[in-house]
Amino acid sequence: MEIKVREEGPVAVLDLKGRLDLASGSTLKEEIKKLYETNHTAVHLNLTEVEFINSSGLGSLVSILKETRLRKSRLTLSNLASYVQEIFDITQLSHIFEIFSSEQEALTSFQSPVTS
Amino acid sequence: MGNVVEHFGQLLTSLRSPDFNERENAVRELGSHNEDAAVTGLVMALEDPDTGIREMAADHLAAIAGVTAAPLLIRFLGHDDIGTRNLAAEILVTIGAPAVPAMLQHIEDDDIDVRKFLVDILGRIRDERAVEPVCQRLRDGNTNVVCSAAEALGEIGSAEAAVHLIATYARTEDARLPVVEALGKIGDRSTLKHLYEFLKTDDVMIRYATLEAIGRIGVSDSVKKLAPFLYSPDRAIAETALMAIIHISNRSNRHDRGATEDLPLHRFTSLLFDGIRNRNEDVTKFTLNRLTHWHGNTVIEELLGTIDFVDDDIFRWIADILAGVGYPAGKMITKKLATASNRFKIKLLDVLKYIIVGDLAEEILPLADVQDPEVRQRVAHLLGISGYSRAIQTLKKLALDANGHVRAAALSALGWLCAEDDIDFIMTGLDDRYPEVREAAAGAMIIIGGPKAIAKFSADLYHPEIERQRLAVKALGWIGELDVIDPLLRATSHPDAAVRKSAINALARVGHLTDMEAIKATLQDENSAVRKAAISALVSLEGTNAIHDIRPLLEDEDVWVRYHAIGCVGEMGKKEFAEYLLPSLEADLDIVRIAAARAMSVLGDRRAIPTLNKMVGEKNRELVPPGEAALLNTGDR
Repeated sequence: MEIKVREEGPVAVLDLKGRLDLASGSTLKEEIKKLYETNHTAVHLNLTEVEFINSSGLGSLVSILKETRLRKSRLTLSNLASYVQEIFDITQLSHIFEIFSSEQEALTSFQSPVTS
Repeated sequence: MGNVVEHFGQLLTSLRSPDFNERENAVRELGSHNEDAAVTGLVMALEDPDTGIREMAADHLAAIAGVTAAPLLIRFLGHDDIGTRNLAAEILVTIGAPAVPAMLQHIEDDDIDVRKFLVDILGRIRDERAVEPVCQRLRDGNTNVVCSAAEALGEIGSAEAAVHLIATYARTEDARLPVVEALGKIGDRSTLKHLYEFLKTDDVMIRYATLEAIGRIGVSDSVKKLAPFLYSPDRAIAETALMAIIHISNRSNRHDRGATEDLPLHRFTSLLFDGIRNRNEDVTKFTLNRLTHWHGNTVIEELLGTIDFVDDDIFRWIADILAGVGYPAGKMITKKLATASNRFKIKLLDVLKYIIVGDLAEEILPLADVQDPEVRQRVAHLLGISGYSRAIQTLKKLALDANGHVRAAALSALGWLCAEDDIDFIMTGLDDRYPEVREAAAGAMIIIGGPKAIAKFSADLYHPEIERQRLAVKALGWIGELDVIDPLLRATSHPDAAVRKSAINALARVGHLTDMEAIKATLQDENSAVRKAAISALVSLEGTNAIHDIRPLLEDEDVWVRYHAIGCVGEMGKKEFAEYLLPSLEADLDIVRIAAARAMSVLGDRRAIPTLNKMVGEKNRELVPPGEAALLNTGDR
């Protein structure tokens, strides 16, 4: 999986491309941990080009979310392909992640008067 | 002609009849005409002794009259009977703009009542032509007329009147209140400096009106003029000033918000939070926007006291604010939960969703025993969100709850918290009588994954219930690890076509297949949906190498399999495959020809040009766009 990190204002945006599985899930966890350790508190994952996600990939995302909560940070997701959305729905993960239909919507949510 | 005149003459005579029915019929008949004589008759009927007939005449006049009726009606504005005067005024208002010229001709009438009525009516009609003449009435010798003129100018709302109104404020003390109100309605910002001066008045009523007017017109700079009134011992004055600031603030953009940062909002806690509870949009917007720099336990307490009264959007806004406050808000919520009603508990738990972490989760564990299943369901959900591993025992208890929704929520939450050790417990949920619970158990097992989950779903592929078989094959696909490949390959020869199709789709997504024979075998499947899935899978797994296996399906007995195979060949994008599609361009079924033309528009082959040219000239117009697109790519267009 390719992971590109960019800054959009106060939000670190990660563009993910490829398959999210055990190996790439671990890499992703490491990348996000590094961001949190460098005082980033807002992370967004753009999943437009994630074509496949399996059980291990989901486990990595859940683990990242737990880390996010412990650090009192915020994690959002956007652009889930229909197949990925389907898995999020069956696992009910769509209820615990903040999921937006577009990256822009997610970034706007970070600018709300309260959370900014 | 003579007959018509005679007929109207009879109707006018009937209007004076002592017989109610005769008079009523005459009015009805007159109402069906719009000649001047009819209007005259209807105007006469305004003096009928019966209210019903008077009102019927008024309705007809308003509907048919216009310019002709106006001068006649104006005469009635000075009538002895107040009912008749009011009726005439209402008709003039209904006639509206066409009546304005006649009214302006009479605006200097000797009768004070007529002048006052005319000014009032002109204000209600809101015609700009009246501005200058009504401004003249601000100098009327009668104060009532002056007051009415000020009110009318406020209704018309023309900035042109502002200077005249300000002069009237200085000149006519009794007209100050309507003048200030009118200035507020007109909304001309150039009058603000005068309104600031008017605030110095000793007259409380005028001060209220001025505060309200500034609230309507003001800009962010106006806030500092209003702020001192927030400290007024007169509570009504202080609250009026606050409402004015709220209106100004809500109109201003975000950058102007600083102007309201140092206001003594703590003096108005009840007003502001009651405003939220009463769904006052202005107050709600202002208050919630200020909560970034207005903290404290009292405020959080008040805010929590509003969540039972607001709509979903405001609730989410409040939840966001409390999430921004974070842990302290969470503590207050958990403290409130103990004594809250079940309905309020649900609301509080919905807010807690945005805040909950480990030790807050600990505090909601006792709620797992609350009688209301909605509360237990939310508790299960929150425990899962919290990531609090010590909640697992409570969740296992809730997974055996009498209520299906609670069981489903608990099983989903266990999926977020548990590891493979707990999967034996979770998989018991697959035998639940409710599909929602079974799916929640499957979802949890998908997240946890691992050999036990795969073994369970592999076994379930041959469960006696077909629904369980279908859930199992999908679950294996979603688990998506390498270990699911073998059971999925076996499932390609499952007795149920839906299972075979799902297995093929899943294999295509999982990838890592070394032997394609099982999938290739399904190209011969008796079920067309399975054959279509096999085509897609082979293209996905083998790319252009799949062409030799797919080619026979270009002649498949099922039209939609052919359609799909043609599309897949087109998407492969290899020009040398174009020749395989040439026969399809001449197929009997237009839908097959359309698919072939679309594929040809990607691949391009000059040998297709004669057939495509024939296609674009055919009667079925649906053939034309794909035919033309294909010709364009062959270089023929």
